[in-house]
Amino acid sequence: MPVAFIIRFLRRHFLWLVRAVIAAAILLRLSPAPPRAPLGPPQTVQTVKPLVCVHTRLIDEVYEWKIQRSLQLVREMGADTIVEFFPWAYAEPAPNQYDWTSFDRIINHARNQGLHVIARMGLVPAWARDDKTGGSTTLNYLPDKSFDDFTAFVAAFAARYAGVVDHIIIWNEPNLSFEWGYREVDPAGYVRLLKAAYAPVHAANPNVVILAAPLAPTLEPPGSPNGLNDVLYLEAMYQAGAAAYFDALAMHTYGFTDPPEAPPAPEALNFRRAELLRAVMERYDAPDKPVYITESGWNDNPRWTKAVRPSLRVAYTINAFEWAEANWPWLDKLCVWALRYPISTRSYPDNFTLLTADFQPKPIYTAIQAYARGWEHNEDLWLPAPGD
Amino acid sequence: MAARPWRLILPMLLAAITLWLWALAGMLFVIRWNSVERPGPPVRVLFPYGEMRVGVDASYPPFAVATADDLFGLDIDLGRAIAERIGMPLRFVNMGYDGLYDALKADQVDVVISALLIDSSRTNDVLYTLPYYNAGFVLVSRADQPLTTMNDMSGHALAYEFGSDADTFARAWLRRIPPFETRPYELPTYALDAVRLGEADAALVDATSARLYLRDHPDWDAPMRYVSDSLYAIAVRINRGQTWEAVNAALQSLINDGTLAEIMRRWL
Repeated sequence: MPVAFIIRFLRRHFLWLVRAVIAAAILLRLSPAPPRAPLGPPQTVQTVKPLVCVHTRLIDEVYEWKIQRSLQLVREMGADTIVEFFPWAYAEPAPNQYDWTSFDRIINHARNQGLHVIARMGLVPAWARDDKTGGSTTLNYLPDKSFDDFTAFVAAFAARYAGVVDHIIIWNEPNLSFEWGYREVDPAGYVRLLKAAYAPVHAANPNVVILAAPLAPTLEPPGSPNGLNDVLYLEAMYQAGAAAYFDALAMHTYGFTDPPEAPPAPEALNFRRAELLRAVMERYDAPDKPVYITESGWNDNPRWTKAVRPSLRVAYTINAFEWAEANWPWLDKLCVWALRYPISTRSYPDNFTLLTADFQPKPIYTAIQAYARGWEHNEDLWLPAPGD
Repeated sequence: MAARPWRLILPMLLAAITLWLWALAGMLFVIRWNSVERPGPPVRVLFPYGEMRVGVDASYPPFAVATADDLFGLDIDLGRAIAERIGMPLRFVNMGYDGLYDALKADQVDVVISALLIDSSRTNDVLYTLPYYNAGFVLVSRADQPLTTMNDMSGHALAYEFGSDADTFARAWLRRIPPFETRPYELPTYALDAVRLGEADAALVDATSARLYLRDHPDWDAPMRYVSDSLYAIAVRINRGQTWEAVNAALQSLINDGTLAEIMRRWL
């Protein structure tokens, strides 16, 4: 009886059922159009300080217009180069199956804004991680047996983006255990990776400059589970034969609470620690091998123990550019960390950025812009302290 | 013809009633099932290394700071209270902010307690507990002229830190309500000074700055009201659901018996 009833019901109302299904399908497909970010006319960067560069964080942006807006603001700031991270895991989710979509939209907009890109490569896909430990390896874990896979990816990247991306950094801060997949840090192991990458990537793009990874500024002693002092690590890299396998060295140098002129010392973490690393280079390497500082800057969080106040951050950053220009002829780019984070952390890392997550320029952005474009910068951005 | 509607409606009504009865029975079963007290998993399952390893970036007072031989702060006290409530030995692993989530993923720590904002983009990798602190923006005004919402700001003077997220927040409100005067300062403490000294009617600052300032100025009776939420929580690795349950239950009990409030009073 119920079956007969259902059949009768369907026969009688068949047309309405079909209409309802079609209407539901149309309604389900209705959604707001994604914001568009069409490429406009090609732009060029106006700058009087070609040393100025900024590290962006664009790869995890959902909306293309935010990538475009970020890169417009880089150009308007007067920086002709960005450093950006291009994760292997995003582009090759399965062996030899490349998906360049997320990279293409960054490179296309960078090219359109007249920007050069220094690409930092890393982040290992699960299939290349040799994950035998119950999934507890991190995305920074690259076993030796996957070096060739990583190299093939970097070579494919270099060939695809030649002309816009002619500087490629192999890995990041391998002197920290967590950046080396939570293994004991291994300068010789990192040199094996550099060696594996050098020739194939050059073959893919003959104009490419291979940068050895920037080392984290740290005083960790030999044997520490956390990492190894950057100066000691660089020395160990050279002793393992690194010199032949990179064309330039990337560096990270933060000022923390010191002004940029504070002298370097083995036990000090400050801006001029770069000079200690340069001294190691001069002992082991060709004198004309250049350096790119791919992360630098000061933090102005009111409570972080390694921060300075915003006015000092502005002064120190501009003075750092001037110091580098006057004293470091071996330096090609000084890149500030970081333009903007996709979302706020509501903690001290936010105070490294030049823009808020909502693209609001901070005083540091305005100051770098005035410096890079040769503008006067006497504008009072904030009121004097009450009671002054 | 007149009987036709009943031939359609009656069976559908009966089917609907049957479905509701089944759903009700299911709900009663779930409620009864959840109310049965069962022993939790042994602690060696919750914390296989025999201790609760807590990742923390001890460079951010008042949440966590390191001295040569100790760690202290709100997050440190919270970690100790949770470990005590669960009955586990405790070990803090001090590291940089950038490494906190990786340490969790690589099983270097069991939980992270480090002024972590709940981040929806991380929820594929981590489980967050209940929030234990709201670091959102607050409006601090004068007791004789309390301003408790952003809507109250029209026609008044608002102080904030230039270039901060509070600055962005204030500009967004300028587009929504009748205008108010904006008074940017270099530091959040200057914005609060401006209210206390009569240069502004309210300050828009993060809750931590406001609490620390009000603690340092106990004679100043200033109403403080949240106008946005930024919730800090404890992160646990995604595949450690039972650990998450235990930490969450311990945190809930600390909230219920006032221990968390006492820790807050100690540091903020």
